[in-house]
Amino acid sequence: MCDFSGKLIAWLDHELPAEEAADVERHLVICAECRSGVEAYKRVSGEFDAYCDAAMASNARRGALRWAAVASAAGAVAALVALFMAIPRTRVEPPESHAQQTTVATSPAIVAAEVPDSVRPTIRRVHRRQAMAPVQIQDANAPPAQNQNAYLPPDGPMIRIAIPADEMFPPGAVPEGMHFVADLTIAADGSAERLRLRPRLAGFERRTTLP
Amino acid sequence: MSGDAARLALPLARLSTGASEATTLYRELRKPLLRYLVCLGLSSDEAQDVVQDAFLILHRHLASGGSQENIRGWLFRVAHNQARNRQNRYDRHFSAGSDAEMDAVSHEATPERAVLEKEKFQQLGKAIRLLTASERECLLLRASGLRYREIGEVLGIATSTVNDTVDRAIKKLAEKCNV
Repeated sequence: MCDFSGKLIAWLDHELPAEEAADVERHLVICAECRSGVEAYKRVSGEFDAYCDAAMASNARRGALRWAAVASAAGAVAALVALFMAIPRTRVEPPESHAQQTTVATSPAIVAAEVPDSVRPTIRRVHRRQAMAPVQIQDANAPPAQNQNAYLPPDGPMIRIAIPADEMFPPGAVPEGMHFVADLTIAADGSAERLRLRPRLAGFERRTTLP
Repeated sequence: MSGDAARLALPLARLSTGASEATTLYRELRKPLLRYLVCLGLSSDEAQDVVQDAFLILHRHLASGGSQENIRGWLFRVAHNQARNRQNRYDRHFSAGSDAEMDAVSHEATPERAVLEKEKFQQLGKAIRLLTASERECLLLRASGLRYREIGEVLGIATSTVNDTVDRAIKKLAEKCNV
């Protein structure tokens, strides 16, 4: 076994100091054994890489198959929901105005200050006792926020606002499909006590079931 | 009320710091991170969860003015630790049987060549599973393009140890695969 054999892989990886690398290169010219060793290590490295790609690809395919099943199940659920929604019910809807909602989302920082009274009813305070899903104000283009997961409202009223990331950052500054969900707690005197921003990636949400 | 508005505005402004670096890194490193995690033994769902978490942590790190040095190694370290936390599933891929070999054959290959390739991958898969966990991790991180120093930071070991481990692991694979 050649003295240089312990340096060949580090040399391949450009991890040797310049002087040692030069030594290895001079040695390779005269040593056939080390030359074939370098070739073998290069090949194995390439194959290891290909193996990882294959593992990744086969895993993604399995994932895709499972997602197809989930998607068809989701379709069935959507159909059921649509059926349910079609049954007429008497219910007072809060005033819907997309333009106004967008205004709210565009300047999340001044929600409290500048929202005209006519928009207010869309921001409903939810009391814990009411045990209903938190209200979301959301741009229609923004992906639906995940609101069914483990977040429990703190003591006291809670307002949840979903803010498209585009409204907070310069265009392109945030990965595509990313938006934020802000949980804020309002104190009894109407001041904001606590703000918690949680970034979300569309199509990339955490699963609600933990392993 | 205007006082409240000012208080709410602050965290939003702070978050925008470093957001563009995070985006570039996300585009560049998402795939390599996913591949690393899947090869460590995470399912593709778990790997996506971990990568998402890692980027959220990075986002917070950059937003709070954290160091911007060697973010690549930093991200791999965060992802690696998150994967470790899922230890019950960890190591499944390489320790249990894998069907990566079945899918590895390129479609253009002739039948004879396909059989050869498949055999080669099965042999390699077997050899990889015989490596120690640390040898596998070193090789995986090396295949992700990390320098020895970065690998050492991810795994919490000295650079010289990484050097020795990579050297040993590659030689084991070369020997078992008769190349």
